[in-house]
Amino acid sequence: MFPGTSGGRGARRERGGNMAAPVSVMAASARWGRRFGTAAAPRPWRLFGAMCLLRPPRITQPLEKEEEEMAALMAQIELEKSQYSDHEIRKLQEEEQLRRRKESAYDDEDEAPGKTVIMAQDLEDKWEQKLLQFKAAPRITDADKNNDRMSLNRKLDSNLMLLVKQKIGNQQLWLLPQVEWQPGETLRGTAERAMAMFLGDRIQAKVLGNAPHGIYKYKYPRAIRTEDTVGAKVFFFKAFLQSSDLSQAELKEDHLWVAKDELGDYLKLEYLKKVNRFLLDL
Amino acid sequence: MLCLMKGMLLKQVFALSRAATPRESHLCAAGGALVSCHRHYRSRPTHGIGRFKYLLPKEAPKKKKDKVQMKEIDVGTEHEYGDLNIQMTSYDMCLVEHFAQYVHRLCNQLSVRVKESYAMPTKTNEVLFLEERGSKMQLDAVLTTHQRVVQISGLSSTFAPILLEVIQSNQPEGVHLLVKEHTEADFKSRLKSRPELEELLAQMS
Repeated sequence: MFPGTSGGRGARRERGGNMAAPVSVMAASARWGRRFGTAAAPRPWRLFGAMCLLRPPRITQPLEKEEEEMAALMAQIELEKSQYSDHEIRKLQEEEQLRRRKESAYDDEDEAPGKTVIMAQDLEDKWEQKLLQFKAAPRITDADKNNDRMSLNRKLDSNLMLLVKQKIGNQQLWLLPQVEWQPGETLRGTAERAMAMFLGDRIQAKVLGNAPHGIYKYKYPRAIRTEDTVGAKVFFFKAFLQSSDLSQAELKEDHLWVAKDELGDYLKLEYLKKVNRFLLDL
Repeated sequence: MLCLMKGMLLKQVFALSRAATPRESHLCAAGGALVSCHRHYRSRPTHGIGRFKYLLPKEAPKKKKDKVQMKEIDVGTEHEYGDLNIQMTSYDMCLVEHFAQYVHRLCNQLSVRVKESYAMPTKTNEVLFLEERGSKMQLDAVLTTHQRVVQISGLSSTFAPILLEVIQSNQPEGVHLLVKEHTEADFKSRLKSRPELEELLAQMS
């Protein structure tokens, strides 16, 4: 990663270990350097930026039993406390008139010539008809029934996030899409590049801020550890899908859209713990 | 010395109370210790007890015709947002009011300073339904649009995404959410325009 400076660092280490007199000054300066100058020395961690792409819920979650009971009670109280609206007053008046006309044996039939008066009852019937014609979309879609984890139409009332199968070291793991950081790039840019790599360029996702939401740090097993790389740090960013139209996205590798409770099936324990810390489950 | 004085005072008070009891006994009995039968007359040493307004700093006299001044709009630094307006619009007034209350309380709890919380005037729209066999437009519905604004300031850029996510996930159905920076135009939209004044100004200049 940093070939020039790594040699220098290694050399400094040797000199620090050597207790020879002419080198003691160098050793002191090296120790100073290590204490203050971490910005100058190359870090032993490799940095990755990962993007947690969330599809926000499209419908609200169903109410709990207590919430439903409370809502019904409040509605009843409000109904009993409320006053009549214009429409209801009109309806009552017209019913009164009808009744009076029937009782008084069509006395004032001449008063209502050719003008067609639309009664409130007729309006209500018309509205009822319209309501019956309206058909709401189903809450539980086909994807739910088939448990098709690759489709976005599943679980419309919770957040779904993207998991991709990536090769880390010599294993294929399910992870949030991640890509290595390159110097000169912001970490948010790295995360967006990761997203673009897996889902194509024209993806409409919104990142809300420049700060990462979480971090996962792991050390390489001793066999792979070198002077430079002790381990890797993965910084997580969150993005929200604006439109659920992914037809333009070119999905290359295996991908899944999973909800928070299903993450445990795919992610490793330590990774899962850090990821769960920044996921809101509402 | 002090205890002697106190003792003398106590004796005085006792004497006074004993003098008062035979005459105003029925008054003193009702209410017990709270009913004081002694008023702080000018001749008594307790005159002026409880005065404090002379200790407060002097306030500038408030003029009746105070022009509503625009408060300074905070631009915000690189790590902090300035004045932000969270605007919630909906057709259902109860829903939008409850949501505005929720956002206000959430900001209070998360120690985000809420500068102002106000409502914009309601807009009424009439939906006219064109009849199938006819040219007349018939009134179908009257829709009222309500808007509530919560103005916050001093939101740090590291906390902003979390707050926005929480508000977004708690958004009820039918409520549009808009978060934008506060500008002068937003302030001016709350005030009524005075066409006569503008005409006169145009004539003058």
